[in-house]
Amino acid sequence: MAGVDAAVSAQAPAVPARRFPWVVLLIVPILIFLLIFFVIPYVNMVYMSFLVKPAEGAYIKQFTLGNYARALGDPFYWKILRNTFWYSLVTTVITLVLGYPLAYHIARVSRRWRGLLLILLISPLLVSVIVRSFGWMIILGRVGLINQFVKSRGGPELHLMYNAFGIIVGLVHVYLPFMALSIAGSLQNISPDLERAARSLGASPWRAFWRITWPLSLPGVFAGTLLVFVLAVSSYVIPILLGANNVLVMPMIIVQMLLDAFNWPLGSALAMVLFGLTAALLWFYIKLMNRALRWSVR
Amino acid sequence: MKSRNLGGWWLGITVAILYLFLLAPIIIVVSSAFNAGEYLRFPPQGLSLRWFVRFSQSPSFVQAFKFSLWLAFFVTIASTVVGTMGALFIARYAHRARDALRILMIAPLQFPAILTGIALLIFFYATGIGTRGMRPLFLGHTLVTLPYVFLTVSTVLVGFDRSLEEAARSLGAGPLRTFWRITLPIIKGGIISGALFAFITSFDQFPVSLLLISVGNTTLPIALFDYLRFSFEPTAAAVSTLSVLLSVAIVVLIQRLVGLESIYWGGPR
Repeated sequence: MAGVDAAVSAQAPAVPARRFPWVVLLIVPILIFLLIFFVIPYVNMVYMSFLVKPAEGAYIKQFTLGNYARALGDPFYWKILRNTFWYSLVTTVITLVLGYPLAYHIARVSRRWRGLLLILLISPLLVSVIVRSFGWMIILGRVGLINQFVKSRGGPELHLMYNAFGIIVGLVHVYLPFMALSIAGSLQNISPDLERAARSLGASPWRAFWRITWPLSLPGVFAGTLLVFVLAVSSYVIPILLGANNVLVMPMIIVQMLLDAFNWPLGSALAMVLFGLTAALLWFYIKLMNRALRWSVR
Repeated sequence: MKSRNLGGWWLGITVAILYLFLLAPIIIVVSSAFNAGEYLRFPPQGLSLRWFVRFSQSPSFVQAFKFSLWLAFFVTIASTVVGTMGALFIARYAHRARDALRILMIAPLQFPAILTGIALLIFFYATGIGTRGMRPLFLGHTLVTLPYVFLTVSTVLVGFDRSLEEAARSLGAGPLRTFWRITLPIIKGGIISGALFAFITSFDQFPVSLLLISVGNTTLPIALFDYLRFSFEPTAAAVSTLSVLLSVAIVVLIQRLVGLESIYWGGPR
């Protein structure tokens, strides 16, 4: 209790802090809920990944590393992991290239327009991913809009869906707003006066941008790329609807392992591998970015 | 001219194309729902509501629609009450534990929803909570919607002027009365926005539902997903349009209440 008292007096409230022990009741329901339905299930999944899958039934409580040996020893899974990370990387790079102009524009546009543009940017996020993928199916499909148009001009049938291209289009579409919003957040804190000052000292617009605005916006770029990569790695709906089964990614395999093959131990181990490798990649990326940030400040 | 330093018209055109790219699939889905023809065509061959009629005659879609609405309703109530209480505590009384608690509250948003679904599926089986009926979906959806309520309510609490409450208290109002008469009316916008967010997140939720549905308890996104894997009829467009309309209504409401800007923190569905 002494620690709490010290914290209260350190904050120096305007009115002497009254003690209501019952305010703790406010946080109790959510804490219990998160403990039971979030923390314990995740811990349980880690535990599950070390159990044995018998021929009959779901699992037996016997420790094994066999699931990890299978997950890490099979070249099939490595190929799928490589696919998953590769598509996520491509998606991240494309959303960065497309998201930056969007963010730059929204951060510099007049206040009157900003509200409307933010609505345009955020509202697709509130439309179901299924509906948006469906829209792309209508556009990219074999008898879709683009093919109807191309064929009416006597062109060949284009394969725009049920392959990697379709997946990338869908992923970029879904994650572009996240990237643009992250970058806009940090661009908004940079005064346009800085760029103007550089201009008035004789820098070209591009030079002013590269030397002033871009380095200062790196934290937003950093946050956006992290977010989009993590989201893309775990995406499931878009690869299934726009890639069919022609392109396999890890979340598809994991869900199949759980729901169809009914192999929870191996499914959990595969999930841990995907999670672990993603975390390792991000750790490496964060190290790299921190160095870049320090360098750009110099 | 003062707002443009770089790009000028080129930036404007690029950005316009990007907004079109963002909205295109949604516009296409909605417009093909009103198509009179037998197939999905764009531009539509005449206007018709026949696919909406077809939807209303499809027992599986109608049932899934109703189920999703009820589910979202219960989830919204639970996560709004519990999330608001948590946000109040953390904003005011948490002090030293504030950062740690905040991270915990937002954690369900940071973990991939598909993994959360898997973890819950295994856990529900193991504990005998089972995967029948609405209960597992209710618990799973409540978990993934809590962070949205927490974030929106926390946002309005940051700008809250505590001296109003202190004035009420010094005039003799009890803590509960102060909460009902002063605090609640002021943070109402944030709470309602959080509730709307929770509602639409539950209604559109896919990965968690995929793992926790059972026979006879299918949500609308799952029904649509199953349908789209095997057929390609405009009925699906009519269903999607209803879902889009719900989203638009919610965007407009949130914009009226607190402004969408206040919640752009960058986090997924």
